Amino acid sequence: MAVLVVATGVIFSMLGQSNKENAALAGLDGTKLKPAVVSTIDVENGSAITYNSGLATVIDIWEDPQCPVCKNFENAIGEYVNSLVREKKATVRFHVLSFLGDESVRAANAGFCAADEGQYLDFNTALYKVQSPLENSGFWSGETLISIGKKIGITSSKFANCVTKGSNVALVQANAESMAKFGVRGTPTIFINGKVWEREISDFNLIEFRAAVEGA
Amino acid sequence: MKSSHEKFAPWLTLLARLALGGVLLVAGGLKVSKPTESANATAAYKILPTDLAHLAGYALPWLEVVIGLLLIFGIMVRYAAVAGGLIMIVFIGAIISVWARGMVIDCGCFGGGGVLDPSLAASARRTYLIEILRDLGLALCALYLYFFPSGKLGIEKTSSEEQ
Repeated sequence: MAVLVVATGVIFSMLGQSNKENAALAGLDGTKLKPAVVSTIDVENGSAITYNSGLATVIDIWEDPQCPVCKNFENAIGEYVNSLVREKKATVRFHVLSFLGDESVRAANAGFCAADEGQYLDFNTALYKVQSPLENSGFWSGETLISIGKKIGITSSKFANCVTKGSNVALVQANAESMAKFGVRGTPTIFINGKVWEREISDFNLIEFRAAVEGA
Repeated sequence: MKSSHEKFAPWLTLLARLALGGVLLVAGGLKVSKPTESANATAAYKILPTDLAHLAGYALPWLEVVIGLLLIFGIMVRYAAVAGGLIMIVFIGAIISVWARGMVIDCGCFGGGGVLDPSLAASARRTYLIEILRDLGLALCALYLYFFPSGKLGIEKTSSEEQ
Protein backbone atom coordinates (compact mmCIF):
# COMPACT_ATOMS: atom_id res chain seq x y z
CA MET A 1 0.00 0.00 0.00
CA ALA A 2 2.93 2.24 0.72
CA VAL A 3 4.19 1.63 -2.80
CA LEU A 4 0.80 2.68 -4.17
CA VAL A 5 0.95 5.98 -2.31
CA VAL A 6 4.46 6.73 -3.52
CA ALA A 7 3.63 5.76 -7.11
CA THR A 8 0.54 7.96 -7.07
CA GLY A 9 2.59 10.83 -5.76
CA VAL A 10 5.15 10.43 -8.52
CA ILE A 11 2.54 10.24 -11.28
CA PHE A 12 0.75 13.25 -9.82
CA SER A 13 4.00 15.25 -9.81
CA MET A 14 4.89 14.30 -13.37
CA LEU A 15 1.44 15.21 -14.68
CA GLY A 16 1.58 18.52 -12.84
CA GLN A 17 4.92 19.30 -14.45
CA SER A 18 3.74 18.58 -17.99
CA ASN A 19 0.56 20.59 -17.41
CA LYS A 20 2.59 23.60 -16.35
CA GLU A 21 4.79 23.33 -19.42
CA ASN A 22 1.82 23.12 -21.79
CA ALA A 23 0.05 26.02 -20.13
CA ALA A 24 3.20 28.12 -20.47
CA LEU A 25 3.39 27.37 -24.21
CA ALA A 26 -0.28 28.24 -24.64
CA GLY A 27 0.47 31.58 -23.01
CA LEU A 28 2.51 32.54 -26.04
CA ASP A 29 -0.46 32.32 -28.42
CA GLY A 30 -1.32 35.63 -30.00
CA THR A 31 2.09 37.23 -29.37
CA LYS A 32 2.90 39.80 -32.04
CA LEU A 33 6.44 39.86 -33.37
CA LYS A 34 8.14 43.28 -33.24
CA PRO A 35 10.21 44.56 -36.20
CA ALA A 36 13.54 42.82 -36.75
CA VAL A 37 16.66 44.41 -35.26
CA VAL A 38 20.06 43.61 -36.72
CA SER A 39 22.66 42.27 -34.34
CA THR A 40 26.30 41.37 -34.79
CA ILE A 41 28.55 38.89 -33.09
CA ASP A 42 31.30 40.58 -31.11
CA VAL A 43 34.16 38.09 -31.23
CA GLU A 44 36.40 40.25 -29.02
CA ASN A 45 33.77 40.21 -26.33
CA GLY A 46 32.93 36.55 -25.91
CA SER A 47 31.06 36.29 -29.23
CA ALA A 48 28.04 37.91 -27.65
CA ILE A 49 24.95 38.94 -29.59
CA THR A 50 25.66 42.65 -29.90
CA TYR A 51 23.33 45.56 -30.63
CA ASN A 52 24.26 49.18 -31.40
CA SER A 53 27.99 48.71 -30.98
CA GLY A 54 30.02 51.86 -30.40
CA LEU A 55 27.63 53.82 -28.19
CA ALA A 56 28.70 55.54 -24.97
CA THR A 57 26.82 53.25 -22.58
CA VAL A 58 27.71 49.54 -22.79
CA ILE A 59 25.65 46.88 -21.04
CA ASP A 60 26.80 43.24 -20.92
CA ILE A 61 24.20 40.67 -19.88
CA TRP A 62 25.33 37.11 -19.08
CA GLU A 63 22.44 34.64 -18.80
CA ASP A 64 21.67 30.94 -19.13
CA PRO A 65 18.20 30.32 -20.65
CA GLN A 66 17.37 27.78 -17.90
CA CYS A 67 18.50 29.98 -15.04
CA PRO A 68 15.53 30.86 -12.82
CA VAL A 69 17.06 34.04 -11.38
CA CYS A 70 17.69 35.22 -14.96
CA LYS A 71 13.93 34.85 -15.47
CA ASN A 72 13.38 37.19 -12.54
CA PHE A 73 15.76 39.69 -14.13
CA GLU A 74 13.96 39.41 -17.47
CA ASN A 75 10.56 39.84 -15.85
CA ALA A 76 11.55 43.01 -14.06
CA ILE A 77 14.05 44.60 -16.43
CA GLY A 78 13.92 42.74 -19.78
CA GLU A 79 11.49 45.10 -21.44
CA TYR A 80 13.59 48.10 -20.45
CA VAL A 81 16.73 46.51 -21.90
CA ASN A 82 14.90 45.69 -25.13
CA SER A 83 13.74 49.30 -25.38
CA LEU A 84 17.34 50.51 -24.92
CA VAL A 85 18.23 48.36 -27.92
CA ARG A 86 15.33 49.42 -30.13
CA GLU A 87 15.72 53.11 -29.30
CA LYS A 88 19.49 52.83 -29.84
CA LYS A 89 20.22 54.27 -26.40
CA ALA A 90 22.96 51.80 -25.45
CA THR A 91 25.25 49.11 -26.76
CA VAL A 92 23.84 45.87 -25.40
CA ARG A 93 25.72 42.57 -25.54
CA PHE A 94 23.87 39.34 -24.73
CA HIS A 95 26.25 36.59 -23.62
CA VAL A 96 24.26 33.38 -23.92
CA LEU A 97 25.62 30.78 -21.54
CA SER A 98 24.65 27.10 -21.33
CA PHE A 99 26.32 25.56 -18.29
CA LEU A 100 23.05 24.36 -16.79
CA GLY A 101 22.86 21.46 -19.24
CA ASP A 102 22.24 20.18 -22.76
CA GLU A 103 18.85 21.80 -22.77
CA SER A 104 20.54 25.17 -22.29
CA VAL A 105 22.82 24.43 -25.24
CA ARG A 106 19.78 23.75 -27.45
CA ALA A 107 18.01 26.87 -26.25
CA ALA A 108 21.14 29.00 -26.63
CA ASN A 109 21.66 27.72 -30.17
CA ALA A 110 18.03 28.57 -30.95
CA GLY A 111 18.68 32.06 -29.57
CA PHE A 112 21.53 32.54 -32.00
CA CYS A 113 19.30 31.22 -34.80
CA ALA A 114 16.70 33.80 -33.83
CA ALA A 115 19.43 36.48 -33.88
CA ASP A 116 20.17 35.44 -37.47
CA GLU A 117 16.54 36.37 -38.21
CA GLY A 118 16.93 39.67 -36.37
CA GLN A 119 14.59 38.41 -33.66
CA TYR A 120 16.76 37.55 -30.67
CA LEU A 121 15.00 40.06 -28.38
CA ASP A 122 11.48 38.67 -28.80
CA PHE A 123 12.66 35.05 -28.86
CA ASN A 124 14.64 35.56 -25.67
CA THR A 125 11.62 37.12 -23.99
CA ALA A 126 9.47 34.16 -25.08
CA LEU A 127 12.00 31.63 -23.78
CA TYR A 128 11.99 33.17 -20.33
CA LYS A 129 8.19 33.38 -20.39
CA VAL A 130 7.87 29.61 -20.82
CA GLN A 131 10.96 28.64 -18.84
CA SER A 132 10.26 25.47 -16.89
CA PRO A 133 11.00 25.50 -13.14
CA LEU A 134 12.30 21.95 -13.61
CA GLU A 135 15.78 22.16 -15.11
CA ASN A 136 16.79 19.73 -17.87
CA SER A 137 13.31 18.26 -17.97
CA GLY A 138 13.44 17.70 -21.72
CA PHE A 139 10.93 20.50 -22.30
CA TRP A 140 13.14 22.46 -24.73
CA SER A 141 13.46 19.85 -27.42
CA GLY A 142 14.26 21.00 -30.94
CA GLU A 143 10.60 20.69 -31.90
CA THR A 144 9.42 22.76 -28.94
CA LEU A 145 12.00 25.47 -29.61
CA ILE A 146 10.85 25.69 -33.23
CA SER A 147 7.24 25.77 -32.11
CA ILE A 148 8.04 28.61 -29.66
CA GLY A 149 9.52 30.51 -32.60
CA LYS A 150 6.41 29.81 -34.66
CA LYS A 151 4.05 30.94 -31.92
CA ILE A 152 5.69 34.33 -31.72
CA GLY A 153 5.99 34.73 -35.48
CA ILE A 154 9.37 33.30 -36.49
CA THR A 155 8.21 30.93 -39.19
CA SER A 156 11.07 30.66 -41.67
CA SER A 157 12.41 27.22 -42.50
CA LYS A 158 15.90 28.72 -42.17
CA PHE A 159 15.24 29.19 -38.45
CA ALA A 160 13.78 25.69 -38.09
CA ASN A 161 16.77 24.10 -39.84
CA CYS A 162 19.20 26.14 -37.78
CA VAL A 163 17.58 24.88 -34.59
CA THR A 164 17.39 21.24 -35.71
CA LYS A 165 20.94 21.14 -37.06
CA GLY A 166 22.46 23.06 -34.16
CA SER A 167 24.08 25.38 -36.71
CA ASN A 168 25.28 27.88 -34.10
CA VAL A 169 26.78 25.49 -31.56
CA ALA A 170 30.24 26.91 -32.21
CA LEU A 171 29.02 30.33 -31.06
CA VAL A 172 27.37 28.75 -28.02
CA GLN A 173 30.69 27.15 -27.16
CA ALA A 174 32.59 30.40 -27.70
CA ASN A 175 30.27 32.13 -25.24
CA ALA A 176 30.71 29.32 -22.72
CA GLU A 177 34.49 29.44 -22.99
CA SER A 178 34.59 33.21 -22.51
CA MET A 179 33.04 32.99 -19.04
CA ALA A 180 36.35 32.58 -17.26
CA LYS A 181 38.05 35.33 -19.26
CA PHE A 182 35.50 37.88 -18.08
CA GLY A 183 35.34 36.62 -14.50
CA VAL A 184 31.72 35.52 -14.72
CA ARG A 185 30.91 32.82 -12.17
CA GLY A 186 27.12 32.67 -12.21
CA THR A 187 24.04 34.09 -13.85
CA PRO A 188 22.65 36.59 -14.29
CA THR A 189 25.72 38.81 -14.26
CA ILE A 190 25.30 42.30 -15.64
CA PHE A 191 28.08 44.76 -16.42
CA ILE A 192 27.42 48.46 -17.00
CA ASN A 193 30.39 50.07 -18.76
CA GLY A 194 32.64 47.21 -17.69
CA LYS A 195 31.73 47.25 -14.00
CA VAL A 196 29.56 44.56 -12.42
CA TRP A 197 26.11 45.87 -11.44
CA GLU A 198 25.69 45.03 -7.74
CA ARG A 199 22.11 45.44 -6.75
CA GLU A 200 21.15 46.82 -3.34
CA ILE A 201 17.58 45.53 -3.38
CA SER A 202 17.35 41.72 -3.39
CA ASP A 203 14.53 41.63 -5.95
CA PHE A 204 15.43 42.97 -9.38
CA ASN A 205 14.24 46.55 -9.32
CA LEU A 206 13.72 48.44 -12.58
CA ILE A 207 14.13 51.85 -10.99
CA GLU A 208 17.43 50.83 -9.43
CA PHE A 209 18.74 49.41 -12.71
CA ARG A 210 17.55 52.37 -14.74
CA ALA A 211 19.32 54.76 -12.38
CA ALA A 212 22.51 52.73 -12.71
CA VAL A 213 22.34 52.81 -16.51
CA GLU A 214 21.43 56.48 -16.79
CA GLY A 215 24.04 57.52 -14.27
CA ALA A 216 26.84 55.49 -15.88
CA MET B 1 14.49 -9.23 37.54
CA LYS B 2 14.61 -6.80 34.65
CA SER B 3 17.86 -5.21 33.49
CA SER B 4 17.78 -1.44 33.34
CA HIS B 5 17.69 -1.61 29.54
CA GLU B 6 14.62 -3.86 29.66
CA LYS B 7 12.94 -1.33 31.91
CA PHE B 8 13.63 1.59 29.64
CA ALA B 9 13.49 -0.23 26.27
CA PRO B 10 9.83 0.51 25.52
CA TRP B 11 10.45 4.23 26.09
CA LEU B 12 13.66 4.20 24.07
CA THR B 13 11.77 2.56 21.24
CA LEU B 14 9.11 5.23 21.40
CA LEU B 15 11.76 7.92 21.40
CA ALA B 16 13.58 6.40 18.42
CA ARG B 17 10.30 6.02 16.55
CA LEU B 18 9.34 9.64 17.18
CA ALA B 19 12.78 10.95 16.31
CA LEU B 20 13.24 9.06 13.05
CA GLY B 21 9.56 9.15 12.14
CA GLY B 22 9.16 12.78 13.08
CA VAL B 23 12.12 14.01 11.05
CA LEU B 24 11.04 11.95 8.03
CA LEU B 25 7.45 13.18 8.27
CA VAL B 26 8.48 16.83 8.50
CA ALA B 27 11.15 16.58 5.79
CA GLY B 28 8.75 14.79 3.46
CA GLY B 29 5.79 16.97 4.34
CA LEU B 30 7.69 20.16 3.51
CA LYS B 31 8.64 18.76 0.09
CA VAL B 32 5.42 17.05 -0.96
CA SER B 33 3.81 20.24 -2.26
CA LYS B 34 6.96 21.30 -4.16
CA PRO B 35 7.79 18.39 -6.45
CA THR B 36 9.76 20.54 -8.90
CA GLU B 37 12.07 21.82 -6.15
CA SER B 38 12.62 18.26 -4.96
CA ALA B 39 13.40 17.08 -8.49
CA ASN B 40 15.84 19.97 -9.08
CA ALA B 41 17.53 19.36 -5.71
CA THR B 42 18.05 15.66 -6.45
CA ALA B 43 19.46 16.43 -9.91
CA ALA B 44 21.88 18.94 -8.38
CA TYR B 45 23.78 16.08 -6.71
CA LYS B 46 24.74 14.86 -10.19
CA ILE B 47 24.79 11.24 -9.02
CA LEU B 48 21.86 9.77 -10.95
CA PRO B 49 21.23 10.50 -14.63
CA THR B 50 18.97 13.55 -14.83
CA ASP B 51 15.69 11.80 -15.64
CA LEU B 52 16.16 9.21 -12.89
CA ALA B 53 17.12 11.95 -10.48
CA HIS B 54 13.86 13.76 -11.27
CA LEU B 55 11.86 10.59 -10.63
CA ALA B 56 13.69 10.00 -7.36
CA GLY B 57 13.04 13.62 -6.42
CA TYR B 58 9.32 13.17 -7.07
CA ALA B 59 9.16 9.90 -5.10
CA LEU B 60 11.26 10.79 -2.08
CA PRO B 61 8.86 13.16 -0.25
CA TRP B 62 6.05 10.60 -0.41
CA LEU B 63 8.35 7.83 0.76
CA GLU B 64 9.43 9.95 3.71
CA VAL B 65 5.85 10.79 4.67
CA VAL B 66 4.72 7.17 4.52
CA ILE B 67 7.68 5.82 6.50
CA GLY B 68 7.41 8.70 8.96
CA LEU B 69 3.75 7.96 9.66
CA LEU B 70 4.35 4.21 10.04
CA LEU B 71 7.07 4.87 12.60
CA ILE B 72 5.15 7.49 14.56
CA PHE B 73 2.09 5.28 14.84
CA GLY B 74 4.14 2.15 15.44
CA ILE B 75 2.94 0.13 12.46
CA MET B 76 5.30 -2.35 10.75
CA VAL B 77 8.07 -0.77 12.78
CA ARG B 78 10.82 -3.16 11.73
CA TYR B 79 10.14 -2.71 8.02
CA ALA B 80 9.77 1.03 8.35
CA ALA B 81 13.00 1.18 10.36
CA VAL B 82 14.90 -0.73 7.69
CA ALA B 83 13.50 1.58 5.00
CA GLY B 84 14.24 4.67 7.07
CA GLY B 85 17.74 3.46 7.84
CA LEU B 86 18.45 2.75 4.19
CA ILE B 87 17.25 6.22 3.24
CA MET B 88 19.65 7.73 5.79
CA ILE B 89 22.54 5.66 4.45
CA VAL B 90 21.74 6.82 0.90
CA PHE B 91 21.64 10.46 2.08
CA ILE B 92 24.96 10.12 3.91
CA GLY B 93 26.52 8.58 0.80
CA ALA B 94 25.16 11.33 -1.43
CA ILE B 95 26.45 14.13 0.80
CA ILE B 96 29.89 12.50 1.08
CA SER B 97 29.95 12.19 -2.72
CA VAL B 98 29.14 15.87 -3.22
CA TRP B 99 31.65 16.92 -0.55
CA ALA B 100 34.40 14.77 -2.10
CA ARG B 101 33.80 16.29 -5.53
CA GLY B 102 34.08 19.80 -4.12
CA MET B 103 30.56 20.71 -5.16
CA VAL B 104 28.66 23.45 -3.38
CA ILE B 105 24.98 22.60 -3.14
CA ASP B 106 22.10 22.89 -0.72
CA CYS B 107 21.09 19.38 0.38
CA GLY B 108 17.40 20.19 -0.06
CA CYS B 109 16.68 18.04 3.00
CA PHE B 110 13.70 20.07 4.16
CA GLY B 111 12.81 21.72 0.87
CA GLY B 112 14.73 24.06 -1.39
CA GLY B 113 18.03 22.74 -2.66
CA GLY B 114 20.18 23.15 -5.72
CA VAL B 115 23.47 24.68 -6.68
CA LEU B 116 24.78 27.43 -4.43
CA ASP B 117 26.92 30.48 -5.14
CA PRO B 118 30.57 29.30 -5.04
CA SER B 119 31.37 32.00 -2.49
CA LEU B 120 29.31 30.02 0.04
CA ALA B 121 31.75 27.09 -0.17
CA ALA B 122 33.05 27.32 3.41
CA SER B 123 29.65 27.39 5.07
CA ALA B 124 28.42 24.64 2.73
CA ARG B 125 31.17 22.28 3.92
CA ARG B 126 30.25 22.92 7.54
CA THR B 127 26.64 22.22 6.68
CA TYR B 128 27.60 18.93 4.97
CA LEU B 129 29.24 17.74 8.18
CA ILE B 130 26.24 18.64 10.31
CA GLU B 131 23.90 16.91 7.87
CA ILE B 132 26.00 13.75 7.85
CA LEU B 133 26.12 13.64 11.65
CA ARG B 134 22.38 14.19 11.91
CA ASP B 135 21.62 11.45 9.38
CA LEU B 136 24.05 9.13 11.16
CA GLY B 137 22.18 9.69 14.42
CA LEU B 138 18.90 8.91 12.70
CA ALA B 139 20.40 5.80 11.10
CA LEU B 140 21.36 4.64 14.59
CA CYS B 141 17.75 5.17 15.70
CA ALA B 142 16.74 2.95 12.78
CA LEU B 143 19.24 0.31 13.86
CA TYR B 144 17.89 0.38 17.42
CA LEU B 145 14.34 0.03 16.15
CA TYR B 146 15.32 -3.00 14.09
CA PHE B 147 16.36 -4.83 17.27
CA PHE B 148 13.75 -3.36 19.56
CA PRO B 149 10.70 -2.63 17.44
CA SER B 150 8.08 -2.87 20.15
CA GLY B 151 7.54 -0.18 22.72
CA LYS B 152 5.11 2.27 24.23
CA LEU B 153 2.15 3.63 22.33
CA GLY B 154 2.51 1.48 19.24
CA ILE B 155 -0.53 0.46 17.24
CA GLU B 156 0.82 -2.91 16.15
CA LYS B 157 1.72 -5.28 18.91
CA THR B 158 4.59 -7.57 18.02
CA SER B 159 4.71 -11.18 19.16
CA SER B 160 7.03 -10.50 22.10
CA GLU B 161 4.43 -8.25 23.72
CA GLU B 162 1.71 -10.83 23.62
CA GLN B 163 3.52 -12.98 26.20
